[in-house]
Amino acid sequence: MSVAEAPPETAVRRGRLRLDGVRKALGGREVVSAVDLETEPGEFLTLLGPSGCGKTTTLNMIAGHLSADGGVIEVDGRDITAVPPHRRSMGMVFQSYALFPHMTIADNVAFGLRMRKVPAARRRKQVAEVLEMVGLDGMAGRHPRQLSGGQQQRAALARALVIQPDLLLLDEPFSNLDAQLRVRLREEVVALQRRIGTTTILVTHDQEEALAVSDRIAVMADGVIHQLDRPREIYLRPATDFVAQFIGEVNALDGTAAGPAREGHACEVAGATVAAMPPGEPPATGAAVRVYVRPEVVRLAADGEGLRGTVRETRFLGSRIRCVVATKAGKVTVALPFDARVPEVGEEVTCAWRPSDASLAAR
Amino acid sequence: MTRVLGGAFACLVGLFLVAPVAVTVASSLTATAYVTFPPQGITLRWYAEVFAKPEFLSSFVLSAGVAVAAAGVSAVVGLACGLAIHRYRFPGRGALEAVLSSAFAVPTIVLGIGLLQWFAQMGLASSPFTLLLAHLVLTVPYAVRLVLAGLAGLDRSAEKAAAGLGASPFLVFWHVTLPAVRGALIGSAFFAFITSFDDLTVALFVVTTDLQTLPVRIFNYMQYDYDPTVTAIGTLMVLFAVVAAVVIERFVGVARLFGADQDHK
Repeated sequence: MSVAEAPPETAVRRGRLRLDGVRKALGGREVVSAVDLETEPGEFLTLLGPSGCGKTTTLNMIAGHLSADGGVIEVDGRDITAVPPHRRSMGMVFQSYALFPHMTIADNVAFGLRMRKVPAARRRKQVAEVLEMVGLDGMAGRHPRQLSGGQQQRAALARALVIQPDLLLLDEPFSNLDAQLRVRLREEVVALQRRIGTTTILVTHDQEEALAVSDRIAVMADGVIHQLDRPREIYLRPATDFVAQFIGEVNALDGTAAGPAREGHACEVAGATVAAMPPGEPPATGAAVRVYVRPEVVRLAADGEGLRGTVRETRFLGSRIRCVVATKAGKVTVALPFDARVPEVGEEVTCAWRPSDASLAAR
Repeated sequence: MTRVLGGAFACLVGLFLVAPVAVTVASSLTATAYVTFPPQGITLRWYAEVFAKPEFLSSFVLSAGVAVAAAGVSAVVGLACGLAIHRYRFPGRGALEAVLSSAFAVPTIVLGIGLLQWFAQMGLASSPFTLLLAHLVLTVPYAVRLVLAGLAGLDRSAEKAAAGLGASPFLVFWHVTLPAVRGALIGSAFFAFITSFDDLTVALFVVTTDLQTLPVRIFNYMQYDYDPTVTAIGTLMVLFAVVAAVVIERFVGVARLFGADQDHK
């Protein structure tokens, strides 16, 4: 069966990756400490974090280019921790494209099939199919240097997919491309991934990219996963201060936990009561907490329950109107829709939000 | 105007480089019993003389043999050394790299004297083998440099990609690493061959009366008989070098055509 025609229902059966307590020290420093992770078959999972957070090291351990110091890596229940990379079935795509410069595009793509001793006739057919799938038909005879960056990355993707790998590993694959092409190619990759249903692990430091493509995101810092959740949850309900600050803009309000509310968990912030939804166990009443609210979820009202403050600044940004409201808990940034009423500077307003759109974590 | 001047200058430089060769070739045809330019009369007698002297032939065989061995060994050792320096951090790595890069700076005559002492100390009698060792001192550093340059253009990710696609470590080396240094290996083999084949200075210290490379043979011959036989040999050597250069150029040219292009990264 060809890659292009593989119905998702059958392809989706395999590709369940599980990491259990995976650790790695490099140069005497623990780069990855006890990472646990489990994907659904067919899932698009992103390891997101700043450089040095251990995301690439984790990916290299999944691929087998680095050996884990501890822990277990499993694919579909098979322990592959000690299996060398060439006996794992993983297609990897790199930031630098990593095509073989002395081979044509067709030979590059055929490489994995040659290693698997696929007969020449079938090889040619599969290569042609996968090249068509990534939109490179007609480029088969070219050398990598004759292709643009985007085309080279498509070829690298074809090379990784043609072997029908258990996992597709993407190591910052869009970072070398210019902004427009980056968005276009990533959309193509997501569409392709949805169609063929190969479990995919993407490593990136680009939060927007992670939010746009992932089924789930694992936010990493200092060798540990801070939060593993769907993009919406990661964005609206960060579990740690790091996640809140790393992704987008956030209003962090310090207060004390005040027990369950009608929805979410109540919290005293500078004399006002606000509510938010803790992503994990709710904190004990009286505990020092921090409430995280994204500017987009804050609504301004003339009165009602919420955080009172004075509008200090308004700015029209095209898609949004940005307001800064000075409250007793500090400045709150609000991003109003472009067609909202723009409040006057000096106006008294109440900042409110749906509890399920805000997060709460112990500090 | 500048174009004309530039062209004239280029012609002059070319002439300056080619003139000695032209004089050698021309005077090898002279009918006189001494070397003279322009040649007086035309004869191939001196070429016959060359082939009539078996010691020249044996010297040629020795020189060519040592040069081929130097080419092969330089390429292999250069590759191994280059890979080790490029890939691994080991004690003495810095020192090794420093020695390899400064080897160029040592005058060959100093090297010759040193090797003479060194071989005597070790009790190594003069043989094609010691000659080869001596030439390797000249050629291996160059080979390592070239291999390192080739490896610098190789993306390590390509090797990872190959491994991920199912290539065992040997196949990764064969299909990805080796093609990246192909040009470097051919270049260093070529350089090693020419260096070894042309070398007089170092060989002078290492050879014996029974074991003389072609340049040494010519050098010694000229001290007693300065007849056109020498220029005839010179001409044959030039011919040999030209043929070798054309053949290698075709190979390297082909290698370049097939990629391993460091300049397009």
